[in-house]
This record gives sequence, structure tokens and C-alpha cells, in this order.
Amino acid sequence: MSALRLLSLDRKIPSVRSAVVPKTEGKTVEWTSPLAQEPARIAHLLRRATFGAGPGDLDAAFKLGYGKLVDQLVETPPAEPPPVPGMNGNSVDIGNLQQWWVDHMLASPTPFAERMTLFWHGHFTSDYRKVGTGQPYMYWQNLTWRKVALSNLASMLMQVTIDPAMMRYLDLATSTGKSPNENYSRELLELFTMGTGNFTEGDVRAGASALAGWRLPVAADNSRVGIFEPRRAYSGGPLTFLGRTGPLELKGVIDGILASDASATFLVTKIVHHFVSPAPQARYIRRLADEFRTSKYDVKTLMRSVFLSPEFITGQSYRSLIKSPIEYMISTLKALKAPQLSKLVLDADEQMGQMLFDPPDVGGWPNNEAWISSSTVMARINFAVSALSRLRNLPPANDLHKLQLDGVLSPVTTKLLDQAGDDRARWMIVLMSPEFNLK
Amino acid sequence: MSKDQVGINELKRRDFLRAGLVFGAGASALAAGYAAVPDAFARAVYAAKQEGVKNDKVLVMIQLAGGNDHLRTVIPLQDPKLHDLRPVLAAQSVPMALPLNGSFGLNQNMPGIKALWDQGKLAIVEGVGYPNPSFSHFESIRVWETGDPTRRQVEGWLGKTITKNYDSQGHPLTGCACGTTNVPGALRDLHATVSVISNSRTFGLQGGTRIETTAGALWKGTPGIYGALFDTAISTVQESISSVRTALKSQSNGYTDNAKLVYPSKTELGAALQLAASLITSGSGVKLLHVTLGGFDTHQTELNRHNDLIGYLDQSVAAFYHDLDVHGMADKVLIATWSEFSRRPQENASGGTDHGAASAMLLMGSPVQGGFYGQTPSLSNLDSTGNLKYTVDFRAVYQEILNTHLGADAKEILGQTFDRVPFLKKPGV
Repeated sequence: MSALRLLSLDRKIPSVRSAVVPKTEGKTVEWTSPLAQEPARIAHLLRRATFGAGPGDLDAAFKLGYGKLVDQLVETPPAEPPPVPGMNGNSVDIGNLQQWWVDHMLASPTPFAERMTLFWHGHFTSDYRKVGTGQPYMYWQNLTWRKVALSNLASMLMQVTIDPAMMRYLDLATSTGKSPNENYSRELLELFTMGTGNFTEGDVRAGASALAGWRLPVAADNSRVGIFEPRRAYSGGPLTFLGRTGPLELKGVIDGILASDASATFLVTKIVHHFVSPAPQARYIRRLADEFRTSKYDVKTLMRSVFLSPEFITGQSYRSLIKSPIEYMISTLKALKAPQLSKLVLDADEQMGQMLFDPPDVGGWPNNEAWISSSTVMARINFAVSALSRLRNLPPANDLHKLQLDGVLSPVTTKLLDQAGDDRARWMIVLMSPEFNLK
Repeated sequence: MSKDQVGINELKRRDFLRAGLVFGAGASALAAGYAAVPDAFARAVYAAKQEGVKNDKVLVMIQLAGGNDHLRTVIPLQDPKLHDLRPVLAAQSVPMALPLNGSFGLNQNMPGIKALWDQGKLAIVEGVGYPNPSFSHFESIRVWETGDPTRRQVEGWLGKTITKNYDSQGHPLTGCACGTTNVPGALRDLHATVSVISNSRTFGLQGGTRIETTAGALWKGTPGIYGALFDTAISTVQESISSVRTALKSQSNGYTDNAKLVYPSKTELGAALQLAASLITSGSGVKLLHVTLGGFDTHQTELNRHNDLIGYLDQSVAAFYHDLDVHGMADKVLIATWSEFSRRPQENASGGTDHGAASAMLLMGSPVQGGFYGQTPSLSNLDSTGNLKYTVDFRAVYQEILNTHLGADAKEILGQTFDRVPFLKKPGV
């Protein structure tokens, strides 16, 4: 493994040309982690906890320092998004809604809240195709997920269960005690909390019975959550759920789930895959899961622990995740300081494989290597080309390799940047580079 | 979540893998045998690693994602038990079914596939499933994709077929997914190069050859764990871009003459199969194709949604078959549907059905010997979860496709041998 620490963040190095490129001789080369240095750690954190940094963002973060930056990210309450433009009565135009969220991701002073909202949108997922656009349910869900993104899992699961979009997406709205619909109960156990192998078909059925009886709110309810109707609920005998037998309703289902060790492990593993590493060590997961349980499943505590953990900034963690399409596009527009190009996101999202409010299935979006195929590579490159072609003036590109790529470049990227004739060419290389597609 | 994460480190770079491989041995001689197909299968043959698979057969797998209700696809017409279990759905399925024989009919929205039946080009395998079925979409999809009910394998059965039988390096269209943005699990294998074409209209790189060259150099030189993945992805783009452009040109040229050929515009399946047809008929060298129609998870208000989906499937397949036929390629192509499971025989209060087990597979095209195969599971003898008991292991269907259609060694790919389900014509007949 040859080292590939080409450039440091040391501002004394004036250009890429001065870098010494080691001969790699065809061996697999690893990125050399710059994370021993605070500025690189801060850029790394902002790539993962937010949507990357634009010109100016980094300097402000450097002044705070890593620890205080973590505090600021997790402690600042989410900025409320503005109203959805053109929202007329109850119905939602899905294109408007997607554009609204993209614009808020670009503009929000609390981008960590948006990053977490996006994470939960892929986890407690719903899609507009099934939920429909005749009611503002998908919009409400987005507001709710933002609000509860860093709260505790018990209250989140309560909100998720009676969220109107979710009730429609996984059919809880039509489930009755007499004839329970298993869809929500199964995915609550399998995809939202415990994972396969930790519950039985009997648990799915008991859960479905216990959770039946909720209906969608109507105008007269003046409510943004489901309404419980005892006459539609299960009225049979005791139910056996996750090893306990007795009367069972929503709260009991959530308590049962949280009493199982599997739940913390399952959720922590997913968070680590999305924020730290695709191949974490078991003892890291165990440690975070223990903490998560001890904190009564407090998500804010968990995220703080993740960002402050040594594992977050090891060499194995550096560039071990692939930016999702939304992250790639938002970070591109942030780097270019070009929020006015946000419409391009909606032209390219489908080709890259990530349309907001429209995940491929109830499992949400797959991540990391699943983002890369011949088709999506083309879409990413085309996005960079088309964004640059629409900008007459570009931010300066002299320090781009340091600001956006930590000064850690592959030999090819180094060579091409060296040969680039002008700023436009340098921007093109940086935005197309594998370095910029990783986080 | 992502199953190949560890494996990705094991993958060597293409450039090293490719070193020392000799392409083209015997290709010209074999290509001569298919002179009627201009260049088309020359490249498919070119990429074959062994004698048995040097043929011009193509496989198209259609995934019906979400769990297709086979009791509303191939409908039992005479079983009173169906009406006991699903009074609403049965009343709206049985009377309007398109009868195949006294016992079964196809969904009312399947006139195109019914026409294939009438020509002896539809085989239906009943009771397809596997032991200890999973009711999780994702687990069961993985079982079907990997051909492994024990859920230990990670490589897809079609991906393995590519690795064992074809040199996909340099021939990235050997395995191709149309109408999606990521590689379907069935085609995934660490050592298989697979193309993904999401949308034919936007296929290609903007910015010309300079961008293509720069992007190629950048992505091929990626350090770290994703190096091979990035390298393969960009190489696949570069190696497939001209073939795909040729195919798309043939689409715009060839189809205007043929007014009868109407792919449905309402779903992506129609567009994906149209793309597949143009790749097949233009000689791009495609061999194993995968397309998906989603939305079959009908827990609620199943009737209209399911009818619509089945209608999209029917129109898309009918247009696809017709397309191949007018290009003289229909006898080369086998079309098969698969779904992770079927639905529970008993309907629920939401007018839908929950996750079930055994299913029916449709195998279509000129290579099939039309008729019913397998054994229909009894609606009166359900398992403890209220689901049908399978009678045919789905891998037996894969085995027949691999051995008889593709000429591959199924045992090498599936790890064991199953009782034959002889739904294909004998080779050469």
C-alpha cells in the first residue's frame, strides 16, 4: 500500500504542481487520511453531517473548532422551512414539494437538520405515489420528521405510526381489529426497528391486531395525526408479542420493541453505515448500541457520540462513503455558491436514482456502492457539466483541491488539475472527480 | 444493509484482470454460422468462455416487484375454495378471466399474453417457491436473486452465470439492466461487468469526448475501497456507449415503419422492454437482460391497481414479442417473469392481500413449449400461516433456463440438481 498523501492543507504549498506523486505501480492505493489535522476533520464532518461546505462556510467552522462545531450542529434547533410555494388548499404538487425541500437544503442555516430529515425519510420511508397528493400528507410527514429527527426513539415511533402519510403508505389506515392488515406491523419490526430474524410471524400478526383501529384525520378532526377509533380496534383476547402475553395497544408494541436488544443494534448499525463506515467493527456497534439504550434511545446523544467517536475520524473512515445523489448535487451547488441552479437537481435526480418523496420501495434508498452504476456515473458527470455550463462567473478555483478535496488527490486528479488551462477546467475536474463523489 | 461491502475489497482492477485474456478465439468461425444475424451475435459469441454457451440465445427476466398475486394472474376457475377465501377478489376475477382451459384463466387484462398461449408460446409453472419461505420482501427477493433459500450467498444467479460463462470485461452489455439506475441483485457478481441503462433518451455524456476522456481517466484512477467499482462503472460507460447509440438509432429508424408496434407509455416497463428489444435486434451483444415492474405489494384496494399492473405487463410483453418477431429474433429470446412471493389466498379488510408464498411463473416466447407445468397447490391445504405450499423449487425453473436455453451448466451456478421442469422445446426443434 503506497501512501498517497499528496498535498497537505498547509497553505504554504502554492499549487498542485509542487506535489510529489508517488509511483503506484499498479497496486491498490489507499487514500492517505488527513484527519489527524483539525481542518480536515472539520471538512470531513461537514461533508457527512451536512451537505458539504461552500466558500466561507469552512472558515467559520475552523474558528469554532471541531468539538464546538459538533455541539452547534446537534444543539441548534432546526430552522423552519418557508411555506411551500403554490400550495393551494389541501393538494400538493409533487414537483413543487421536491423543489421546496431542495431549496431549503441549500438555504437552511441548520443543514444538519436537513441531513437528518433526509436520513429518516429514507428510513421511515413513504412515497407520494401510494400516499397520493390530494392531501398534504407527504408535506406534513417532512415537517414531522424534521421536528422529531433528534428526539427519542419511543416518541418517534409513536409519531411514525400515526403519521397520515405512513398510515396510508403501509395501510394502517384501513386495518381493523376484525381483519388486521399486516403491512405496517411487519415493516415496523423488520425495517424500522429490529431487522429480520428477531421476530416471528406470530409477532407480526399480534402487532397487526394491536395496531389496528387508527383512521386518517378528516377536516373536522383538525389534526395532523391519525385518530384512534375504539370500535375499529382489536377486541379479542390477550396477544403474545415478542414473548409477552397480555392486552396490547400501540404503546405496548413500542415498549416491546424497545425492550429488545436487537432494536438499538439494528438502528445504530444503519446510522453507522450512513455516517461512519460501510464496514464497522462489531465492538463499535456494541458500544454505541449500549449507549443508545442507556440514553433511553436519545437520537441526539447518539449522533453526538458518533461524531465524537475515534472511529469517525480513523483512516478507514476517510472517504469510505459514497455521496448519495442528493448529497452530490447539493454539495456541488454549495461549492459553486449557485443555489439559483437548484432546478437542475430535479432534472437529474431520477437518472442518479434518488427522487425525494419517491424512494424505490419500503426499504428506502440503498446506499454507498449501490449508488454507482454505468448509468448513474453518466448522470453525475452530466450534472456537473450542465451546472458549470450555466454559470458565467465561477468562484475562484486556485485552492479548490484544498477546500473541497482536503488536498488529498489521486495521481490522475493531480496530473489533470496541473494540466488544466483555466478555472473552468479546474472546476470541471474537481466536481467530476471520484474524490468529490466520496465523503 | 449493503451486502457486498466486504467483498468489494477483494475485487481486482479490471486492467489487471484483463491482462492476459485472449479475445476472439474462434469468434469469426462461429459468427459465420449466424450470418443471417448481421454482427448481432458475433459479439455475444465472442465473449463466450466455453463451447456450450456459444449460442445466440437471449434471456429477459421481468421482475414483478412487491409480490404478485398469482391467484389474480393465472386464476383457478373451478375451485369454490377461492370464493370462500377471497369473496370480493374472486367475484371480480373469475367471471371475467380469459379461459385457457376448463380449470384456469388469465386475468382479464392479459389478451396479449393470451394470444401467446394460443400460439403455444406461454408456459405456466404452478406452485413455484422454496422451503421455509420468508415473508420479507427484501429477504425473499434476495433468495430469488441469489438462488439460495438458505440466504448465505450474495452473488446473483445471473451474475454468476456471466462470470462462469462469458468474458464480460470488454463486453459490458452481456448482462444489462434496462429502466433502472442500479444493478439488480440477480445480475450482481463481483467479477461480472454489467451495464445499467436507465433511460434511453438521456443516455450519453454531455460535453463531448474531452469530458469522456477526462472522466475516464479520473474514475479509473480512484484509490481506496471503491477503486474497482468506479473503474468498472466508467469503463462500462465507455465500452457500451457506441453500441447503445447504435441500438437507439435503430429504434428511431426501424419503428416508424411499423405502426402496429405500440409499447405502452404509462409505465417504465414498456420503455425498458423497447430499449431491450433495440439492444437485441441491433446486435449489441446483449445476452442476459433484466427489467422490473414495481407496485405489486397490494395490501389494500388490490382490484384496480392489480388489474392495471397486469395490463401494463401484458401490453409491454405483447409489444416486445411482436418487436422481436418482426425483426426475426423471436425464436432466440426467452421471457420469464418472477416475483419474490405471491399473496395470501385470504383477502384482508382493506380489499387487498398480505404477503404469501408459492407463486406461478410465466415463461414466454418461441423457445417455450406451451402448457401448464408443476403442480397447483391446494387452496384447501394451506400451511400454518394460511399460505399455499410450494410444489416446485424455483431453482428448477432456473435450471431449465440455464441448461436448455443458455447451454450453461446449471449445477455449477445453483450448486445442486433439481427435477426437470421441461417447459422448453428441445434444442434444435
